[in-house]
Amino acid sequence: MDIEKRIQELRDRLKYIQDIFGADENTNVTMLDAKLGEYLLREPGLTEQEAVRQLETLEELFRFLEKKLERELTPMNRVRIVRHPQRICLKDILENVYDNYTEIGGQDDYSIDPSMLIARAYITRRRGKKIHHQAVMVIGQEKGHGQEFRNGGSVKPWGNAKALHYMKVAETENIPIHTYIFTPGSYPIEDYPGAAQQIAKNLYEMAGLKVPIVAVISEGGSGGAEAIGLADTRIMMSHGYYSVISPEGAAAIEGRLRGGQRAEPRLIERCAEQLKITADDNRAMGFVDWKINEPPLGARPEHYDFFRKLRKSVIASTDEIVLGVSGMRLFRSLALKRHKGADVYVRWSLNARAKERLLWTRYMKYRRMAQSAYLDKRHWFSRGSESIGEFVTSLYSYFRYDLFGKQHKKVTELAEDMHAEMQVVVGRSTRYWKGLMSKLSFGKGKKEVDTAGLTSLSAWDEAAQNNGKWQYVSPQAKKDRSVTCPNAPVHGCLDQWAPDLFGEWAGVCSFCGHHFPMEYQWYLHNIFDPGSIYEVFSEIESVNPLKFDGFDLKLDEAKRKTGHKCGCMTFEARIEGTSVMVAMFMGAFRGGSVGAAEGEKFIRAMERARKKQLPFLSYVHGTAGIRIQEGVNGVIQMPRCTMAVRRYTEAGGLYLVLYDTNSYAGPVASFLGCSPYQFAVRSANIGFAGPGVIKETTGMDIPPNYHNAFQALSRGHIQGIWDRREIRSNLVQSLQTMGGRNLYYR
Amino acid sequence: MKKSSEVHRHTILIANRGEIAIRIMQACQKLGLAFVALFTEPDKHSEHCVLARRLGGEKSLFRVSSYLDANEIFAVADESGATAIHPGYGFFAEDYRFAKRVTQRERKLVFIGPSWQVIRELGDKINTKRLARKLGVPTVPGSDKPVTDDLEAEAIAKSLFDFQQEQGVNDPVILVKASAGGGGMGIEEVSDMDKFRAVLRRIKNYAKRQFRDEGVLIEQRIFDFNHLEVQILADRTGQNPVHFGTRNCSVQSLGRQKRIEVAPGFDPTSLRYAFDARKVLEDITEYSLRMAREAGYDNVGTWEWIVSPTGHPFLMEVNTRIQVENGVSARIASIKGKGGVDLIAEQIRVGLGAPLGYSQNEIVLNGVGLEYRIIAEDPDNKFAPWVGRITSFSWPELPWLTMHTQVPTDREYEIPTDFDPNLALAIIWGKDLAEVKARGVEFLNTLSLAGENASGEALKSNIEFLKRKTETVLVF
Amino acid sequence: MIDVKDLLRELREEPYEKIVIRAPHSGRVEFVVQEPGTKVAGASGTWKETSGTLLARLEREQNKKPLFAPQKGEIMSFAGIQSGQFVQAGQELMTIRHFLTREEVIDRILRRSLSLFPAPEKGKYYFFPDVDIKIKTKGSQTVHVEDGMELFILSRMKRETSVRYSGPAGIIYAVYFETNDSVDRNSPLIGVCPESELGKIQEVISRVQSDWEERD
Repeated sequence: MDIEKRIQELRDRLKYIQDIFGADENTNVTMLDAKLGEYLLREPGLTEQEAVRQLETLEELFRFLEKKLERELTPMNRVRIVRHPQRICLKDILENVYDNYTEIGGQDDYSIDPSMLIARAYITRRRGKKIHHQAVMVIGQEKGHGQEFRNGGSVKPWGNAKALHYMKVAETENIPIHTYIFTPGSYPIEDYPGAAQQIAKNLYEMAGLKVPIVAVISEGGSGGAEAIGLADTRIMMSHGYYSVISPEGAAAIEGRLRGGQRAEPRLIERCAEQLKITADDNRAMGFVDWKINEPPLGARPEHYDFFRKLRKSVIASTDEIVLGVSGMRLFRSLALKRHKGADVYVRWSLNARAKERLLWTRYMKYRRMAQSAYLDKRHWFSRGSESIGEFVTSLYSYFRYDLFGKQHKKVTELAEDMHAEMQVVVGRSTRYWKGLMSKLSFGKGKKEVDTAGLTSLSAWDEAAQNNGKWQYVSPQAKKDRSVTCPNAPVHGCLDQWAPDLFGEWAGVCSFCGHHFPMEYQWYLHNIFDPGSIYEVFSEIESVNPLKFDGFDLKLDEAKRKTGHKCGCMTFEARIEGTSVMVAMFMGAFRGGSVGAAEGEKFIRAMERARKKQLPFLSYVHGTAGIRIQEGVNGVIQMPRCTMAVRRYTEAGGLYLVLYDTNSYAGPVASFLGCSPYQFAVRSANIGFAGPGVIKETTGMDIPPNYHNAFQALSRGHIQGIWDRREIRSNLVQSLQTMGGRNLYYR
Repeated sequence: MKKSSEVHRHTILIANRGEIAIRIMQACQKLGLAFVALFTEPDKHSEHCVLARRLGGEKSLFRVSSYLDANEIFAVADESGATAIHPGYGFFAEDYRFAKRVTQRERKLVFIGPSWQVIRELGDKINTKRLARKLGVPTVPGSDKPVTDDLEAEAIAKSLFDFQQEQGVNDPVILVKASAGGGGMGIEEVSDMDKFRAVLRRIKNYAKRQFRDEGVLIEQRIFDFNHLEVQILADRTGQNPVHFGTRNCSVQSLGRQKRIEVAPGFDPTSLRYAFDARKVLEDITEYSLRMAREAGYDNVGTWEWIVSPTGHPFLMEVNTRIQVENGVSARIASIKGKGGVDLIAEQIRVGLGAPLGYSQNEIVLNGVGLEYRIIAEDPDNKFAPWVGRITSFSWPELPWLTMHTQVPTDREYEIPTDFDPNLALAIIWGKDLAEVKARGVEFLNTLSLAGENASGEALKSNIEFLKRKTETVLVF
Repeated sequence: MIDVKDLLRELREEPYEKIVIRAPHSGRVEFVVQEPGTKVAGASGTWKETSGTLLARLEREQNKKPLFAPQKGEIMSFAGIQSGQFVQAGQELMTIRHFLTREEVIDRILRRSLSLFPAPEKGKYYFFPDVDIKIKTKGSQTVHVEDGMELFILSRMKRETSVRYSGPAGIIYAVYFETNDSVDRNSPLIGVCPESELGKIQEVISRVQSDWEERD
């Protein structure tokens, strides 16, 4: 009987190994298979004693080879481990790591989104005779050992909204948050609140969440991971992966596959390696704080030792965060530093000052990431002088806006009140006097009719009217040819002459209003005041931090073609005399994808705008998402840039986003989507994942206009749609109405 | 400047249909020019196709998907080897972009009409008004630029009311219109200042939505005016415009569509006017020429005027094209002693680059011309168009009568529904107003026009209306 | 009531429809499909987002435009035009033999069995606003019509007049015109079915659904 059980266990272990190693030939796996097979043939003829003995040898062989296989694990094997139904899941962790818990808002598939699990949990610690119960908000994706309704941990937008809701609850309750990341990626649908927009909201809120956050990563799939991943301490399980995209997705892009074609296994394997997705890689690059070792071939529910280890880790991490920012900490943090498992008691609630320090520490932690993934070729001197310059500016703006500005504002407000009071008193009497005067007809008794004004030529500044004359004319307007509008079958638009269409009409179909794409230069020259563009941080250059195969060539090609060093151009410019800071994402540079250089430039521009107290505009000429060839260096820009936005807007900044052509994925799901004022140029598409990806991941057929700006507006993702020819006047209007009188201050 | 002989090498593509297409074909024939004509499927039996086949053969006729698709016109032009395009009136006649494309595309063609810069300049009402004011030409009192500022708008409105009161207008009314608008959209009348503010806001919002431009024009509304025109012609030098007199087009349908045109514009010899009519005619002619010279006007065009009951003329707009009623002016004119003037032929000739070849004093105007627009419509029911089949259409041959029509007289004809409703233009000449009126009535009495629609109802036409209105033409 | 059997027999004798492909506008044609007998596909996908087979390209003013097969079928014949030749708008290019689908057979039978109300004049037609809303929200089959009821607005030459329905009372079973398209005189606007005969119509439809075999 006992033997039967043990044989079954071996069978399961073999099956698991075969699952992990997949179709690849592996002598060790073949050997285990053969040995087990032989034993099963022999076993009926053996005495019980002999059977047990041989079984023990076989078990020993299993243990030995499992350890050996552990050392041979490829990144792709790890991907299969975390996706395996036997992989530990959040429910297991709640059972084994915490002492007590209640699931919030879900009972199996009765949940707004069963793939997002929230629990209020307790950790009980005994210190001497005293017992402390410490409350934690546990949030994470639940894969549920392959339960269908869990959707593999792929969270729908409202699941992420639920997560955010309870993070805010934890903030109110002043208890730490533990997040567990078990997701292959977010479920890419646009239904309200929308995959991208909700992740952006989560990131923006987490950037300012005033409680300690610890994140544990098992399967960190891109945007879905970031939705709950912006933490003070990030722990990664040794067999997990954390990546910008699934290896299959990367392979599909690399292999330029379309319409659901499957990528070659070899290519997938290579992508998995090159993307540097393992715990060790991420630890080395500084994207996670520490790695927690799992048993050979990954943790499964029966590995109780692992749960103990995990428990210690999350408790210690929480302690460390709290001690790092609170006043009374010296001995305890020393003790913790010396000995990871040191059993000290730390109260997890924070006071007001500690909360501020926590946010600053969090900001700096992310600010320092991915610093070696871009190139800054400037001479040290110019870098130094820049920082001196910035110091001077910030000193100036401190005096101008903070010190004097605040005083001045108080005085002005007082004066305004005084004036208003006076008016009530004086107004009455002046009215009286005016009436009297007119009765006595002291003033001009008879009105004179301005005949000349009605019949002769008036002065009029015609130069102020553009009358279809633009500063920059697209090269598309120089060809003698006609162009067909894509809406012609529906709206009956006639073919238009390219010089008219791309010249005077600014690429707008004169029949249906469809906007043909225009070069980003068109916007540079026709939106901002002529000659007012002053580029900054132009030296920051995109590189190939992961040495991704063939990517150097592609990058060089993009740099040559566009004349830019990365896909983001940052500049100061004026619109009708108002200075604005602009980050422009160019579709022509690697599809407008965002990597470390683009992110760094964006953050620096944000910091500059904050110091100089300028409104900020993100003009997205087009972005395909995060640059996958930079791996996590790219995806980490999502929290990094969003935190910069938060810091800027908290300081009173006005942040506008304008989408053009196509904007998708990571950037929209973070630093673009978090703006309260997002607009789209007509005919733009905005979304999380393209139609192909949606079809593949959800099996849903989506209509051709799914990501259209009007749909985005109906769903509440953007706040308005602008005609290209009116961008300038709309921006002026926005600066006036959203920015207020001082454009920057609230 | 080209010699007249070079003109003969051209092939004219006629980018139009119906009556005007026929007249262009006839003019081409007169000038010895080859032509290419277009038609659309519903027009395949139209008279202009019949004539094109007769004059130019099957190869001169091309079927296109639409008269409004410029690409069709150019495709046919290139295929047929045409070298010039005559836009007629309507369609592309006043579209400066089309005119520009004609002359700027890779295979360049000649646009029979003013140069595109002139069309653009005078096609813009504000521009025209400002040009007029610059030259001291009277325009309707009010703003001559788009007004966006509310206070400024109020000030203008207020002084317009005061101005009218000063002029003795009892119930002054002003017009508020979207400056980017046209065709009667976004125009409202206001008779007092309180209402003005509400109307201003409404028009501005409308204009902003509709035209993305919230500028408004504020003008005096002139009542009971007469509608006069001055016919201008100039060659490509743009230096020597001449006129072919004036026309009065005051007999109109409810929708402000002209029904009777008379040349000259007033008849002080037989009628009494409350003002010096002769001087008004002289003034508007001189003003029109002054503007044509300043603008470098280089083809045929019409200056439209409104004349108030007090005899004040105001420039309304400039039509940079040949007009439907050009024939009535040509009918009373002779050049260097020769009658039978064809303004369309003149337009083509100078359009292709030939010099005008005569001066103003070589143009002599004689007698009175009267033009009727014969239309199947019901004048008693808001001039509702009548749709159906014409079964018979005939008139007597008379020496003083010229008929222009695309309706065949030898077979039945289904009135096409998508285009201009004119069936025919009848031009009548008389030595004086009394004679032309008598001949006009005689013609209308002998004209036979019949037809029926799907429900068997008889054709309705404006013949009785025209007859009634003939009595009082030129009376003001 | 109609004899479905006869109608079906008649349709079976010629179970296809000839679709003449004409040049939508002037230009130079370049044939992609060259052989008679070539099978072609119509637009497909949930939203007809995938175009049909590319038959030819038509170039006008440096703009090459594709000409797709509108329906599934096979090329019957070409009109004798060579690639590179200039064609005028509306010129015949080729003919496609399209085998009738069940829906089309049903449509044909319905057109013969419903009471059709033809357009009295050529022009553009609209439903009266209240009827229009009902049709858009609940479908045409919820609208009951009666003789003399004001049902349409006829727009022609920029003027609008109302048109009264005449014919048997019943529900609007099918709508045969599109808003903004010009409708020729006498072409049907709607097909009306008296409520009492709805059952029979349903019977016809299920009959076709089971009896008619679609061909490729």
